[in-house]
Amino acid sequence: MGRPLIHRSPMPGLGLSMGITLTMLSLVVLLPIGALLLKGANYGLEGIWETVNRERVWAALFLSFRLSLLAALFNLVFGVLLAWVLVRYRFAGRRILDAAIDLPFALPTAVAGIALTALYAPNGTFGHIAASIGWKIAYTQWGIFIALVFVGLPFVARTVQPVVEEIEREVEEASATLGASRLHTLRHVILPMLAPAALTGFALALARAVGEYGSVIFIAGNIPLVTEIAPLLIIIQLEEFNYDAAAAIGIAMLLISFAMLLAINLIQIWSRRRIGHV
Amino acid sequence: MSDATLQKGTTARFRSATEESPLARRALIGVAFIGLAILVFAPLIAVFAEALADGVSAALRSLANPDALDAIRLTLTIAAISVPLNAAFGIAAAWFITKFDFRGKAFLITLIDLPFSVSPVVAGLCIVLMFGTNSLIGGWLVAQGFPIVFAMPGIILATLFVTFPFVARELIPVMIEQGRAEEEAALTLGASGWRTFWTVTLPNIRWALLYGVLLCNARAMGEFGAVSVVSGKIRGQTATMPTTIEMLYQEYLSVAAFSLAAVLALLALLTLLLKTALEIRHADQLAATHRH
Amino acid sequence: MHIEIDEISKQFGVTAALHPVSLSIPSGALVALLGPSGSGKTTLLRILGGLEFPTSGRVLFDGQDATGLTVQERRAGFVFQSYALFRHMTVFDNIAYGLNARPRASRPTKAEISRRVTKLLELIQLPEVGGRFPSQLSGGQRQRVALARALAIEPRMLLLDEPFGALDAKVRKELRQGLRDIHDETGLTTVFVTHDQEEAMELADLVVVMSMGRIEQVGKPQDIRARPATDFVRDFVTA
Repeated sequence: MGRPLIHRSPMPGLGLSMGITLTMLSLVVLLPIGALLLKGANYGLEGIWETVNRERVWAALFLSFRLSLLAALFNLVFGVLLAWVLVRYRFAGRRILDAAIDLPFALPTAVAGIALTALYAPNGTFGHIAASIGWKIAYTQWGIFIALVFVGLPFVARTVQPVVEEIEREVEEASATLGASRLHTLRHVILPMLAPAALTGFALALARAVGEYGSVIFIAGNIPLVTEIAPLLIIIQLEEFNYDAAAAIGIAMLLISFAMLLAINLIQIWSRRRIGHV
Repeated sequence: MSDATLQKGTTARFRSATEESPLARRALIGVAFIGLAILVFAPLIAVFAEALADGVSAALRSLANPDALDAIRLTLTIAAISVPLNAAFGIAAAWFITKFDFRGKAFLITLIDLPFSVSPVVAGLCIVLMFGTNSLIGGWLVAQGFPIVFAMPGIILATLFVTFPFVARELIPVMIEQGRAEEEAALTLGASGWRTFWTVTLPNIRWALLYGVLLCNARAMGEFGAVSVVSGKIRGQTATMPTTIEMLYQEYLSVAAFSLAAVLALLALLTLLLKTALEIRHADQLAATHRH
Repeated sequence: MHIEIDEISKQFGVTAALHPVSLSIPSGALVALLGPSGSGKTTLLRILGGLEFPTSGRVLFDGQDATGLTVQERRAGFVFQSYALFRHMTVFDNIAYGLNARPRASRPTKAEISRRVTKLLELIQLPEVGGRFPSQLSGGQRQRVALARALAIEPRMLLLDEPFGALDAKVRKELRQGLRDIHDETGLTTVFVTHDQEEAMELADLVVVMSMGRIEQVGKPQDIRARPATDFVRDFVTA
């Protein structure tokens, strides 16, 4: 009760910095999201349910979520490996690999989308090889998976890297002096230490993949019920000026995002409580 | 002498307790190289290979096309407006969050990070619902002759939405680490608020600011999903580089699409180069997670 | 176990951390490696534990060459300066770690492990902390848990790197006696590294004074005090 909303401070610029922050936040983020929620409220829960509860929408939501989960799992394993290799080993080309991990952040998604399609289409470099064993990648769910792996690649590696850097050598040495083999040390000492950061990165990659649009639509083929992702459904509804339906699907996706944001925060609280600092 | 050689032989056999066997190490490095070669380097090379499929002159000619030039001009304009706005917001938010104590700070940070977990398409949808002709505000603005959706302001809003957290989240950790002592010292020495900011705070955060601006700019120029929804993709008017790439690609103008894509890919490479240079040279002034 | 250090040297690049040194540590002794930082005392301890390998020379355990043994094969109970407890494991799991890490054939049963851990917790006089995490312990408690964890593997010797370095003066005095008691009870050959001459003199049977990668003097505390062999030793022990 006694805690003031804002503590007195000798620092200047309270009004200005607070004003800019809250105005921009409201105008750019909060009001538009509010507009979506308001639209949903007008449309009513029943209306939303009627829109979402259709085979095509369920198929798209389920597809987006399932492939995002698989891509994030792939990135979980590969990202931990990358973080370990880049921090622990010294080899020629390390800097280039390290910088390359961020390319999916820097490269526009549409560029990635058409590049991946060019590679994995039946007449592309990789698509050609795959086609020779009867494996079709572009315009199937494999193509979506690869695009989602690409956009989620940096998350796990970048969250785990600083944690690998912080592991004290003495902890690993202690494990060895107690008779543990290197493999036992990796499994029972190092991986548990990396787990919270890896899970955070996993959740970030998942959240990114569920909402991804640009890199996916070129390679997906966009066949309803088979390779149609949820964000594309919103675009289709908007092109038909069907704002209510677009808002309903948008709210469903927003709820999924919020649930994942909550999960990320819970993971962080849990790991902070459990591990603390020795 | 023979003793010395014997010792040399045995030391080679010894392995530090905190290292993997050389074989395992090589295998892991190999997997990292192959994985990134397939996932990252191959698409990058594909962009340039496809752009140059009909030779350099064909690629350059397609870039000189008026639609392409309009798209480049629009994208540069969008970035030139939205990136400074974002930087100003980032500085203000970081100042507010790190220099003052108030209730709900953690919640405010969560709200600032929110756009990272919202799909760009949903972001675009939100802006259309807020400012579209069918909405209360949008209808009124159109009546005043100031449309937002399917026009430049909408694209800027969408860009601001998706890049919202970039600068703020680079500055906040750095400014927390630096504390308030230097600013307090400047104030006790009689410096005004602005003077303190320009002469004490800004020099301390400039590299982190540049880092955030770089990432923000890359995203601003490359945003596709949100811009697709709000822009209407009108050729020569609201088609940005990424949306023009899509239109060219769907018209099977592969060289033209990939030439424009190559320009954006070069920008991405430049961004990575500058970012790595910052990480090497000014690591101590960046957020701890960027220090290698 | 009797430890024999035979002409051990260690180079790190071009700098010599240890010039060839020799030392004999009788079975069951409590030995202090005493010296300022950079004297090579920690390097020597880590070579005994198998965490570093000598550039030349041999280490003999009970007369057998142990130079080539890996750290796992040495079975040296090692207590680190920072304790290096596993922060994601409970105290119980920390102490049981070495037993659980054994290959299945030689691993004790769960009940046996539990019995041994309980006994060790009693030995370090912390019978109730088994369920806690390291972050919930005081500095002195952590040090004792690290000691119990090292003892759990039934080590052939006990090696401690600045075991009291991170503790305040009062706790340090108490734990000194604790180490002495555990040494006397287990009879393990024990080597600890310290830069604190008072600590070395009070606790050890045998003090090895080191400087610049060389052994300056080896002797009982009272002999070193009474008859310092070099100027360095005189300055260091009277400081």
